[in-house]
Amino acid sequence: MAEVVSYRKRRGVEAFMLVFAVALGWGGYVIIHLNQDAELPKQWPWALGILFGMALVLHLVVRWRTPYADPLILPLVMLLNGLGLAMIHRLDLGTDPVMHSAELQLGWMVVAVIACCAVLIWLRDYRILHRYTYLMFLAGMALLMLPLVPGLGLEKNGARIWIHLGSYSFQPAELAKLVLAVAFASYLVEKRDVLALAGVKFVGLDLPRARDLGPILVMWLASLAVLVFQKDLGTSLLFFGLFVMMLYVATEKPSWVILGLGLFISGAVGAYFLFGHVQTRVSGWLTPFSNYDLNYQVINGQFGIAWGGLFGTGWGLGRPNLTPLAKTDFISAAIGEELGITGLAAVIILYGFIVARGLRAALGSRDPFGKLLAAGLAFVFAIQVFAIIGGVTRLLPLTGLTTPFMSQGGSSLVANWVMIGLLLLITHQVRQPSVEPVADPVASLAGEATQLIPVGSVRPSVAEDETGPLPIFADAPTGPIPAVSPDAPTGPIPAVSPDALTGPVPSIHSDDPTEFVPTVDPNTEATTAITPDDGGPR
Amino acid sequence: MSELVVVALKLGYLALLWLFILFVGNVVRTDLFGRKLPATEIAQASLVAASGPTAKMSRKVEKRLPTLLKITHGRQAGLTVPLAGGVLIGRSPDCQLLLEDDYVSTKHARIVVTATGYQVEDLGSTNGTFVNNQRVTAPTPFGTGDTLRIGRTLMSVEK
Repeated sequence: MAEVVSYRKRRGVEAFMLVFAVALGWGGYVIIHLNQDAELPKQWPWALGILFGMALVLHLVVRWRTPYADPLILPLVMLLNGLGLAMIHRLDLGTDPVMHSAELQLGWMVVAVIACCAVLIWLRDYRILHRYTYLMFLAGMALLMLPLVPGLGLEKNGARIWIHLGSYSFQPAELAKLVLAVAFASYLVEKRDVLALAGVKFVGLDLPRARDLGPILVMWLASLAVLVFQKDLGTSLLFFGLFVMMLYVATEKPSWVILGLGLFISGAVGAYFLFGHVQTRVSGWLTPFSNYDLNYQVINGQFGIAWGGLFGTGWGLGRPNLTPLAKTDFISAAIGEELGITGLAAVIILYGFIVARGLRAALGSRDPFGKLLAAGLAFVFAIQVFAIIGGVTRLLPLTGLTTPFMSQGGSSLVANWVMIGLLLLITHQVRQPSVEPVADPVASLAGEATQLIPVGSVRPSVAEDETGPLPIFADAPTGPIPAVSPDAPTGPIPAVSPDALTGPVPSIHSDDPTEFVPTVDPNTEATTAITPDDGGPR
Repeated sequence: MSELVVVALKLGYLALLWLFILFVGNVVRTDLFGRKLPATEIAQASLVAASGPTAKMSRKVEKRLPTLLKITHGRQAGLTVPLAGGVLIGRSPDCQLLLEDDYVSTKHARIVVTATGYQVEDLGSTNGTFVNNQRVTAPTPFGTGDTLRIGRTLMSVEK
């Protein structure tokens, strides 16, 4: 009998981990106040209540809609979000006068959690998204290029990646990341067979055919446009990296990665010589002290992490405010300062776990669209975390990406929570036990073939061939072929073949061999062919 | 606050943070391979789920409802299959009753539960489905003692 791998739902584990995560985030907030004022903050019941409320709502919606979803994703995200909120609050306290961006961020978190629940409740099946390949692609591209529209785009800190609607500013690239991941996944599901075709062979590497290079060139030009016109290294890297990785996952051809890397490096080197802002980033990465004023932010972030050391200064006891943009780009430096390398490493591992759960969903997924989408979402998340934390710790040139779930910023938070909603939907499908009909084209073809025999054409020779020496019932006509009239339905019974029962027949009560005996003439070969093993379920 | 308390809070917090990670790691470990279930268990679970609507059936109808389908003639003679929740009959591997019979179509017939009892419905088979030697053209009710013929397999409906 076929076996099916199933996963336990583990919703109880999820509930426990959610409580743990909320307690850790809230604990950070309380320790900040204990360390700074030696008393509990006045609003502590509110903070605890709102965080718990959100965790409870998420947990209940998951129990209701996606009971088989991965039990770890939500607690991990809650913990990162809680740590981010606590750190933003801590940075608020460090300004004079005290700012209230943490409250605003908490408001955005509520919106984001509602958005995530909406995805779980209304989307239900992520496969619907497969229908809108090119619409999604166009929408994603439009979102990506939206900041370039005059009058709508807004240039902040040298990068033109915001749009302003009234008094709010919004980073459309965060949403574009999600939309484009869906678009790429559904596009590649359709086209991967073509894209996997080998073209010219070059130094032992099967290069793709020249005519299939269109999509990767389009994405390359789009990411170059982002780099040139929006002056944003991070977004450019993110989208091109996402596309190349998904192409690799879809086609399993390393040549696409090498091609993509080549294109990216040529683009990056070209950009380095042509644009001043790229040169600034590279000098901040390799030789920050060559220009202290220009690289002030990177240098201060490094000082902060160094000051934190192994165990950090403790919540609220460092001076992360000295770094410009500590709440957004440099929040990981603030974590490194106050929680030390131990805390920063923990945060990176938490991100790693989210990526790992996403990739695991991709590995387990049975439909190619879900596989590619989960892999794409996990990759885009991984690239983003790697690029920004790598930039802050000077492993890479600094790129202006947000740290998912931690950085201050509503658009990033909402987009990332929606992404988590999608991942939960995919993991629900992946982990749900289901009996997959085993595709067996040979068997079904054979089944069709016998049905082509025209009813009524009695051909004894065929009959002889097919039944041969098999036993024949007294009341049955000798011609065993379809000529059997409806009144005499009992044709000769062929011997029970060893593979008599292969399908998922539920609970067959024929383990007892005696059950076979009365129905078959004891004098025939058929009975001798039946052994207790033959008829039983397997 | 004293220096000691500050250090204790700091280290305690980090310890809890890493404890969280250890918990996550443990969940990942125990979740690694999943459980292997025989397919029948899931099929039965879905049968139980599918038989939900039959609750509307009156007690009287339910009492005289047949429960078993027993193959009397055919290669699999002697085989009994529970009717509960309905049965899909054919040669395709996703049928609940998989018949070893060359005259059975891939998806041949379906037995469904209605408020009045069981009905058999032909799914456009080549050789037809017969209830008491009458060819079925529409969903046909049947009860205990009736004979079903699918291809060259004869089945009797038993309680």
